[in-house]
Amino acid sequence: MSYLLLTLLLLPLVGSVLLFFWKSSSSKYIALAFGFAQMFIAFYMLGNFDFNPTVDAPLQYEITYPWSSYIKSSFNFGIDGMSMLMVLLTNILVPIITLSSFNESKGYPNSFYALILLMQFGLLGVFTSLDGLLFYVFWEVTLIPIWLIAGLWGQEDKRIKFTTKFFVYTFVGSLFMLIGLIYVYNHAASFALTDLYNANLNVNEQTVIFWFIFFAFAVKLPVFPFHTWQPDTYTYSPTQGSMLLSGIMLKMAVYGVMRYLLPITPLAIGGISGEIVIILSVIGVIYGALIAMISTDTKRLIAYSSLSHVGLIVAGIFASAVVTMRVGLDFEGAQGAMIQSFAHGINVVGLFYCADILYKRFKTRDIRKMGGLAKVAPKFAILFMIILLGATGVPLTNGFIGEFILLKSIFSYNLIMTVLAGLTLILAAAYMLRFYGKTMFGKGDDAVLATTKDISSVEFTVLASLSVFVIVLGVFPQPVIEMVTSSVRFIYSSMLN
Amino acid sequence: MSVLIVLFLTAILVLFSGVFEKGKYARYIGILGLIIGLATSFLPDCEFFAQYKSMYEYSYNAELFTKISVAVTLLLFFLGGFAFSNHRSHQSELYALMLFALCGGIVLFGFQNLVTLFIGIEILSIPLYVMAGANKTDLRSTEASMKYFLMGAFATGFLLFGVALVYGSAGSFDLYEIHDFAYNNPKNLMLIMGAILMLSALAFKVSLAPFHMWSPDVYQGAPSLITAFMASVVKISGFFALFKLMTIAFGGIAGDWINILGVFIILTLLLANVMGLVQTNAKRMLAYSSVSHAGYIALIFFGINNFSTYILGYYLFAYSLATVGVFISLIWVEKIKKETSFTAFNGLGKREPLLAVVSTISMLSMAGIPLTAGFIGKLGIFNQAIGGHYEFLVLVAVLGSALSIAYYLRLIIAMFFYKEDNFHNTERASITYNIVSVVIILALVSMGIVPDLFAKIFGL
Repeated sequence: MSYLLLTLLLLPLVGSVLLFFWKSSSSKYIALAFGFAQMFIAFYMLGNFDFNPTVDAPLQYEITYPWSSYIKSSFNFGIDGMSMLMVLLTNILVPIITLSSFNESKGYPNSFYALILLMQFGLLGVFTSLDGLLFYVFWEVTLIPIWLIAGLWGQEDKRIKFTTKFFVYTFVGSLFMLIGLIYVYNHAASFALTDLYNANLNVNEQTVIFWFIFFAFAVKLPVFPFHTWQPDTYTYSPTQGSMLLSGIMLKMAVYGVMRYLLPITPLAIGGISGEIVIILSVIGVIYGALIAMISTDTKRLIAYSSLSHVGLIVAGIFASAVVTMRVGLDFEGAQGAMIQSFAHGINVVGLFYCADILYKRFKTRDIRKMGGLAKVAPKFAILFMIILLGATGVPLTNGFIGEFILLKSIFSYNLIMTVLAGLTLILAAAYMLRFYGKTMFGKGDDAVLATTKDISSVEFTVLASLSVFVIVLGVFPQPVIEMVTSSVRFIYSSMLN
Repeated sequence: MSVLIVLFLTAILVLFSGVFEKGKYARYIGILGLIIGLATSFLPDCEFFAQYKSMYEYSYNAELFTKISVAVTLLLFFLGGFAFSNHRSHQSELYALMLFALCGGIVLFGFQNLVTLFIGIEILSIPLYVMAGANKTDLRSTEASMKYFLMGAFATGFLLFGVALVYGSAGSFDLYEIHDFAYNNPKNLMLIMGAILMLSALAFKVSLAPFHMWSPDVYQGAPSLITAFMASVVKISGFFALFKLMTIAFGGIAGDWINILGVFIILTLLLANVMGLVQTNAKRMLAYSSVSHAGYIALIFFGINNFSTYILGYYLFAYSLATVGVFISLIWVEKIKKETSFTAFNGLGKREPLLAVVSTISMLSMAGIPLTAGFIGKLGIFNQAIGGHYEFLVLVAVLGSALSIAYYLRLIIAMFFYKEDNFHNTERASITYNIVSVVIILALVSMGIVPDLFAKIFGL
């Protein structure tokens, strides 16, 4: 069984190397085949996954190989509920993202798809590694392909400036995380996860380490005020780059906060640091939503809405953590955060794809110049609506249950914060409906509309498969909650030790 | 020590080969000699040399560093033919001087005695003064040679004065006797002065700020292959000499010089990286990058533990390989376009993908991105300094790294993101260049993925 995880990890790498060296005209089909194979393995693993493990640390499919004797670190991979969910998200989205580029003709297609697969390799490594150094290595591995994708296939000349900013920003964040991890390693004498958890740091040390490590996550999430790279990078990346960044890569940070930050620095979170993070994220929730309200650029609107939604996720995680440290075990926020991460991944990829479709039809990203598409593209109008409702968090869509649980967990921390964070639902409805209304029903340019066609079969497949996830998870979220419960319970209870 | 003899004889042979066919065979003789030398360094050393132990000991560490620097020089020799092709009549001299400088470096790896240290430094430096001026028709090159010579002469003065003070207080040139003396008389002012002067002199050689002023000009003026040699082999030798001197001879009075070194490091990291950011010439940028790396490597003096020598070797090897890796494309571009500004690199990724990739991986390694050797090196150094509770210096180093990634990216972006303009030369890189590129890529990546590999190959 353990070889299953090894295959899952190495297959994208094999595919990536193959595509780099084999300049075939059908590289997109090869990439898609690898993506589907990965998806199949992931679902097979899900089929054999034990949803209610009896042991405390619910790791499955674990594999370990020695790495370095000098640095006490090993190739240790394993999957628990949280990892499983993220692995599923990655393996569902990567084929969809690959498919979404089928209508475009990219320059150097083999390198483009090779980088997507390399990215997948890095992401899976992040979500399954059980060793601090390994986590850091994979964390950085994801940076190079996404930077190249954003920089080489992006739009307009400004992309180079913004992708450089993105790279430098995240690299600085990662370096601080590395210093934090090395500090903990020096006390734990090993990079193994359980040793890092038991490093016995005092409150002051934990507070410093907390901010060092959190900085890396805060940049990637992004948490206000570390977000300045995000709207620009999302805007000027190719659609697939924005999808990878917001759909999956951002979840690395959510995952990292739970897997590494909470159990290593619980005392810091119980103190003032946890509260500061909650306040920053709530500011991000409102700030992101307000900017989204006035954005006229489709991609920028989605970027800021993502900032707003992610703020809620972070606030929920930390609200539960603070309550855990002060009152007693509470892991509701983490459950909500995991569900919302999964849902946000699906929704934001859908939204970016819709923005891409709009861009192709109207040749602009300016909402003010769009309108009336619903009349000529009814299929698109329906699928766009479903995804949009999911992103808004309407009941019976995947966005609702996560936001509900998150708000509930913030409520058990503080009422005022809940009210403020709850604004996200109202504001989201406002800017999303404005977005939809303007583009679909607004007054459009008749000359453009006359030549506009409804979505093609590739576009339909991508949006329809995303819509299925939006509805199924909205109606039936229980399996996801069950999947993550045992692992988040373990993480939050290990904060108390 | 047999390595030293082999290389010295090779150097003389290379020098005399210039008589025939304008030095056509010099490079091949050099390569052959270096390969034999590298092979010799893996054999147990000859018993005969044991009697010189008080002057020079071919110890475990000396062996490690010898292997590294011979290997790096060998790589540079493979690049030589193309890089030196406009020095047709002086090729053999240049190769011979490189080998003599290498011999000086090897003397430094095994010194047991301040006299040997001095001799090593001079054998290393004097050929470099000449080599820096090898482009006789180029004013910059002449300037570089002159500047390097004058600065080097100052450094020699510092070094000799330091040696005199140390000898005056300890009454011996021997490292271990100085060590004992320093332990028994930790407050001897003359000894401390001597130590600090010697530290400054060697800081000149490895270009630690504030003694780095010569390096950007010299690096830019010297022929690129010589610059690569200075940035790699000379740095390895200088650092190991500094490391051995300060930790063994002056280990007992570390409290008196470590803070000064700390100030040097902070200055180096901030100055070099900020200056690196504003450069418009890739070669000058690499010069500042080399200065900044002196700053990272010097962190090795903080929080010394049993692994320090190993980490030093690892870092220096990783850094030297990466330097050669970047210089491959630099030499290529300089030769084709007669200049090394960032714009000269535009579109290299399309024209010479392999050279562009090796330079990219090398610069990522210098910046310390995982899955490259440079990451493991930085990890080791940071880990050691954090273990020794010098977190502040590590923070400065991290800030330095953060700045450095910006200028490395500029070159990578030029190579891959921009299209080249008005450029009609269709010459392709030779097979040797491609082979060296592949070797460096494999070495950097495999050392980054399997850190223990380095220990296995170089016998630790």
